[in-house]
Amino acid sequence: MRKVLGLAVAMAATLLAQDAGAQGFKLGVIAFQMSSETHARVANAVEAAGKARGWDVTLLNSRGSMPEHAAQLDNLVQSGVGGIVLAMGKTVELDAQLAAAKAKGISVVTVMSGTSPHTLLDVAVDDFAAGAKMATYLLNRMNYRGSVLLQRYEGNVSTRARGKVLDAVLSENKAVTVLDAHVMARPQGWREDVKAGMEALTLKHQGKFQGIWASFDGQAFIIDDILREKGVKKGDVALVSIDGGQETFKRIRDPNSLMTASVAIPFEVMGSRAVEAMEAIAVKKTAKEKIVAGPVLMVDTVLVDGSNVPADGKWPW
Amino acid sequence: MSDPAGRGQHLRRALELYGTVLALAVLVVVFALTSDAFLRTANLLNIAKQISFLTILGVGFTLALAAAELDLSFANVCSLASVAVGGLLTVGWPIAGAVAVGLAIGAAFGLANGVLVTRLKVPSLIATLATASIANGIAFAITGGVAYVGRLAEPFLALARASVLGMPVLVLWTAGVVTLAQVFVATTRPGLHLVMTGEAEAAARLAGIRTRSMKVLALALSGLAAGLTAVLLTASLSSAGPTIAYDFLMRGIAAVLLGMTTIEPGRPNVPGTLVGALMIGVLTNGLTLAGAPYYVQDVMLGVIILGSVGLSASQLKRAAFGLGH
Repeated sequence: MRKVLGLAVAMAATLLAQDAGAQGFKLGVIAFQMSSETHARVANAVEAAGKARGWDVTLLNSRGSMPEHAAQLDNLVQSGVGGIVLAMGKTVELDAQLAAAKAKGISVVTVMSGTSPHTLLDVAVDDFAAGAKMATYLLNRMNYRGSVLLQRYEGNVSTRARGKVLDAVLSENKAVTVLDAHVMARPQGWREDVKAGMEALTLKHQGKFQGIWASFDGQAFIIDDILREKGVKKGDVALVSIDGGQETFKRIRDPNSLMTASVAIPFEVMGSRAVEAMEAIAVKKTAKEKIVAGPVLMVDTVLVDGSNVPADGKWPW
Repeated sequence: MSDPAGRGQHLRRALELYGTVLALAVLVVVFALTSDAFLRTANLLNIAKQISFLTILGVGFTLALAAAELDLSFANVCSLASVAVGGLLTVGWPIAGAVAVGLAIGAAFGLANGVLVTRLKVPSLIATLATASIANGIAFAITGGVAYVGRLAEPFLALARASVLGMPVLVLWTAGVVTLAQVFVATTRPGLHLVMTGEAEAAARLAGIRTRSMKVLALALSGLAAGLTAVLLTASLSSAGPTIAYDFLMRGIAAVLLGMTTIEPGRPNVPGTLVGALMIGVLTNGLTLAGAPYYVQDVMLGVIILGSVGLSASQLKRAAFGLGH
């Protein structure tokens, strides 16, 4: 045990020595769940943009745990950072911590985290608009008739908003019926959860559905694999989702994949915008109102399907 | 003249007893030397606040392990109790009622674990995994996966957010639980019987100790600790979700196992658990202040768990596989 602890101390000392040499603006970045590709894309983009400016960047992962999320924000506030970026953070639950950050003069910019009176701004996409794009695309693809399966997730404000818009669109198009829906229940073990649920639903309703809607792309990938295992061919079922990313585009290009379309959210752009806003407001002392009038800095999304899918490594924006 | 061999033995014994405490002290010194912020009062109180949930849950797990039983349900039971408290407050229940329900849920699950283990002879590893799953299912049934989020009543939030003479009330809760638990196991008859049950069940039974009752008591106290943590966690975060305490399972066990390397090496012990939680809290906070990326923290925690499990494996095996029966 003493050897283990000795190793731990040595590692800590090495890291501390590295830290002592860093200079300039200190930025803390907290991603709520780095195992989620979208959270990681934003957080990594923020880290890269910060480091490109010569900033000292600390990147933390809350692992989907609210207590950990709050503790990390507390720690960053104590560490004396100049600014904090939250990627998919929980601003309502972190109200007390964000108030403490504001009281210490620390600038906080969030990405897809919701607004707070204690933060400068939230870089976001309009999830209602993104949800509407995808819902109407799916129905159009199905010629406004048939049956769909849904893979929902109610535990996140973005995916919940997308689901609500889908419900609204479906309520006005009665020729499209919802055969069944699986609601993802376990954020920590969500892949297994989605796999088990959708395997059961696709088996139960085999051959009876023409479309599948997933609340985010990670779910769609799992469903795509399930359908392929069952021998479903491209064109038999329209599989749509929201998020976008290289894996999504690869699947849309793949003739064997069922992935039909995704509303691509420019997560890397959002990360860069968050750092640009931080630099302007916290470093260059530009008035926040010159960056954005309200509390949200909106970024546009792009619907990507076979007609406009970018080449490998490219982006649609 | 003193005997060098005797001195060496004393030193070795001291290191066995307090090696982990010494390592904690070394960590504190390293972080203090390299980060101005580390030793500030605000940061030390910050660490003390942050380890409060881990410590209270860990104390509950320690009591179960002291009776040679595992409680792997504490994190999910805590989440369920949190959801119940948050839900009841949201629909307008009085604070005392909601808090009482949260505590009762924790204690009830603990009692159920105890009955499953002692009456139905289900190994605690399996029984508590099953009740953890049940608690998780009920929490999702109540919430539909959506956390109760919003501004809960100020008097309720004060349970975790207030300060008394500059001391965060969470730290006082933790100190109270640790003190009570230590007094219980070290000085009271039921506490001593509980520990004897864990260490030598057959001998304890022959000595007239009601070993089954002691195991039920230990698991019920672990559940109660989960209920109390749920109340404080909900008040601290002003929210309650069905997986809100999920992350405490591994860290809670790590804190207890780490604690078993010190004070009373090889035995689950309350002060040791506090040291274990402090070690995790100091490491997490210190590495953050040092600017260490998140994956380094995970690696460090894993290294510490491996080390502590290696040293305290015998008691864990006894609890996991019912070798004490």
